[in-house]
Amino acid sequence: MILRVLLACAVMLISMSVLPVRAEPLRIVIDEGVIEPLPFASPNFVAENAGSAEMGAQLARVVAADLQGSGLFREIPSSAYISQVSDFGAAVQFADWKAINAQALVTGAVNVSGNNLTVKFRLYDVFSGGELGSGLQFQGTTDGWRRMAHKVADAVYSRITGETGYFDSRVVYVSQSGPKGDRKKRLAIMDYDGANVKYLTDSRAIVLAPRFSPTGDRVLYTSYETGFPRIYVLDVGSVQRRVLESQDGVMSFAPRFAPNGQTVVYSQASGSNTDLFAMNIGNGSTTRLTSAPSIETAPSFSPDGTKIVFESDRSGSPQLYVMPASGGEAKRISFGQGRYGTPVWSPRGDLVAFTKQSKGRFHIGVMRLDGSEERLLTASFLDEGPTWSPNGRVIMFHRETQGASGTSTLYSVDISGRNLRPVRTPEGGSEPSWSPLQK
Amino acid sequence: MNTKVKMILVAGALALSACTNPAGLGGGGVTDGTAGAGTGGVIPGSVSDPTSVAYFQQAVGDRVLFVVDQSTLTDQGRAILDGQAQWLITNTDYTAVIEGHADEQGTTAYNLALGARRADAARSYLISKGISGARLKVVSYGKERPAEVCSDEACYAKNRRAVTVLAGGLTG
Amino acid sequence: MDVGQVISGTGHVALIGWVLLGGVFQSEPLPIEATEVSVISGADFAALIAGQDAPSSATDVAQPAQPDPVDDAPDVPQTSDSVAETPVPQAVETPPADQVPDVTELAPPPEADVDDVAPELPTPPAETAVLVPEQAEEAVPLPSDRVAPDPVAQPDPEAALDPVQQDAVTESDTGETPQETQEATAPEAASDQIVTEAEKPAAAPNASLRPPSRPSRPVPAAQTPQPETQPQTQTTQDDNSSDTDAAVQAALDAALNATNDTPTAPSGPPMSAGEKDALRVAVSSCWNVGSLSSDALQTTVTVSVAMSQDGKPIASSVRMLSSEGGTASAAKQAYETARRAIIRCGARGFPLPADKYDQWKEIEMTFNPERMRIK
Repeated sequence: MILRVLLACAVMLISMSVLPVRAEPLRIVIDEGVIEPLPFASPNFVAENAGSAEMGAQLARVVAADLQGSGLFREIPSSAYISQVSDFGAAVQFADWKAINAQALVTGAVNVSGNNLTVKFRLYDVFSGGELGSGLQFQGTTDGWRRMAHKVADAVYSRITGETGYFDSRVVYVSQSGPKGDRKKRLAIMDYDGANVKYLTDSRAIVLAPRFSPTGDRVLYTSYETGFPRIYVLDVGSVQRRVLESQDGVMSFAPRFAPNGQTVVYSQASGSNTDLFAMNIGNGSTTRLTSAPSIETAPSFSPDGTKIVFESDRSGSPQLYVMPASGGEAKRISFGQGRYGTPVWSPRGDLVAFTKQSKGRFHIGVMRLDGSEERLLTASFLDEGPTWSPNGRVIMFHRETQGASGTSTLYSVDISGRNLRPVRTPEGGSEPSWSPLQK
Repeated sequence: MNTKVKMILVAGALALSACTNPAGLGGGGVTDGTAGAGTGGVIPGSVSDPTSVAYFQQAVGDRVLFVVDQSTLTDQGRAILDGQAQWLITNTDYTAVIEGHADEQGTTAYNLALGARRADAARSYLISKGISGARLKVVSYGKERPAEVCSDEACYAKNRRAVTVLAGGLTG
Repeated sequence: MDVGQVISGTGHVALIGWVLLGGVFQSEPLPIEATEVSVISGADFAALIAGQDAPSSATDVAQPAQPDPVDDAPDVPQTSDSVAETPVPQAVETPPADQVPDVTELAPPPEADVDDVAPELPTPPAETAVLVPEQAEEAVPLPSDRVAPDPVAQPDPEAALDPVQQDAVTESDTGETPQETQEATAPEAASDQIVTEAEKPAAAPNASLRPPSRPSRPVPAAQTPQPETQPQTQTTQDDNSSDTDAAVQAALDAALNATNDTPTAPSGPPMSAGEKDALRVAVSSCWNVGSLSSDALQTTVTVSVAMSQDGKPIASSVRMLSSEGGTASAAKQAYETARRAIIRCGARGFPLPADKYDQWKEIEMTFNPERMRIK
């Protein structure tokens, strides 16, 4: 042993003084980086037959708008392009795209034949000079072209970020018109980006808080159709609706589906007390979940259906609590300064989004289910009603401006707090509910 | 300009407080001047007619206001409800729907529940003064139907209210 | 010496094998494979689209609106699979010596950065009778789409965006020294933190720029290459894992390697801490984790790259050695992001001392996003 040590020392000395050291790989640790949108190019999809050019341009625009709108990507304008993509199958001139710092390149081809539409796309990692994933093709009808573009964008998003996208999804919300003192409200449904708005009810009765079913085929909402707030379930396809419960003298509101799509949890006000109930919408049987003299409302299920987060003022001011889905002991999770409401469990199960009222301002925030790591994402006169994107990365909510001329607008924000942006709708909007990703 | 708009809006809102009376509530809703039980020397249905809805609304007072976040009645509120109870005892043909409201500083769901509490506070008081519970329904509008639309405490104070809206007679 | 030879040999074989075979175990095939255009059946898609069409019948007048007779999705010929014949684009590998300067053509983004928050900023003075001192606003770091280790003020709009700031050099400035005209570049504006809207209206005391989250790491002063040779040789150790022994092993190894290899390139003295740090900073400025999933942000990847003598990475040599902490797919995204950082920021050559080429012709970089998760 000692001999070896000595030997080693000797060898080392010689090598260090006389011979150049043959290097091992140089090792470094990178633990700081930047957070910025990834620059990408999305040139017009190549028209594969006459008359497809317009569609090719539109598809590329929607794909680019989806990606850019996520805040994770930044589109490089076509005016900067050095080369064009005129043949979907040809080799990509990576140098030209590198030169304008396009790190990702989306190429596509489109073929319109009568009512039929075929869309292909490929995604390239420009700097490594290769494809990310393999090309995909979608077929459908021309009137569904926006969904095709959303599907392409979802694929691109997921290949680069590693998580599923959210572009091929819809949002149901309350569309608002008229002055603040006499708001007309009706249910509306739209693509996540504000396109294809359709109205599901008229504005004769106040409607509140629509909520998608876990598969996006039905919507729960509260309506004053009979003069009293009652819960209805509406089939999105047929636009048929039915009242869930009609008990005289009782007000029901704030419904939400359980992940099984069969159970509905909601608030019921009777006398001065508001409690939580669960109903099986198949047979109409109800179960009382809380029986405190305080207000319990705004329930939301955990994604596994075992727990419910809700809002209660049992401590004196509205705070968030978690309890088993069958009722029972509730544990308070919000402890910050201010009032908390409208908790919504994230689709990934790790966070809850909420509305917070503090020092005269409203915030949308997120926290862990144990109440830790509270993070406020927005601040304004009145922000309310968060809903999660299907992938749990984005929150949509509504913002009301103050004063007599105040209006309500839908907004979205990344859960990091970045990329706050309005969602354009034909009229004012409030209380959005995001559908799952469409199949 | 601004004040004019505001006045119109307020007028609209006031008219509304009578109109929001839901259609589902038995018999025709009653609005200012369109109905009244009694006839006499005074113009039926006018404020000077003590049996008129207009009298109830303006002379007796159809609404009580609440402190922020509270649903307990103030002394002033109790005085108004005493008057309402008197009127309802005299005019037995009427039923009423008590609407509970909240200001805009709160979430939709919570404010609905809060409005229900306020309406129920008024209803319980009226019952304690001898009005049959069968004549008094409650409904909460939360922050959906503000009486005033500005975003100041002056307006908020008027929006945190329970309004007793008279409806047609018991018998139809 | 015999023992040394054996050990050295084993070490080398292991190393070579690892380098060669490492690629075999990579989950992702190298991107030269023939790609297929896979297909979603026309009928399926059409059926879905048709399903979506139904509510369109609900006009403004809403209520019961009949569902449109569902437009029967026209049958789409199922010849789909044949479409896969699209020729594989040949990988046109741009030679590493890419002369095109990185970003010169790119006009500075037209303030898209500020754009998305603009609506909230100035509360109309008339309604400002509130508590928050709004004037603190301008001193607070402007919300930027970009978050970087060191906050960067808004760039001179004239300058092209470039992670590495360079002064404009004109012939007149430099007098006799012949020097290329260098266009001024500036790093894109960045804040060192994500400032959410809720955090923005900071009161006056917070008005100054926050310091970078951490000053550059103090690097241990005495750095010799020896300790770093550990991992490979350790496996050949059978009975004894004591530090002394390992050190001996390393020393032997290093020495023997040195004797066995005739150096073909300058190797010079070991890299200094400062030189290493310069490389680290250069790669950091292109390591953009902004588009990574939270899963990928839990994943640490180690990537190896071979360098050419001009300080540029050889793109085709970049490979993932290992990953830790995330799923295989998260590791893939994390690796791709690391690869992008190396190739992109290395396009013009990393700041490496030419006389020590032997020290850095192979580089292993460990990308650890732990501190980038929530900033």
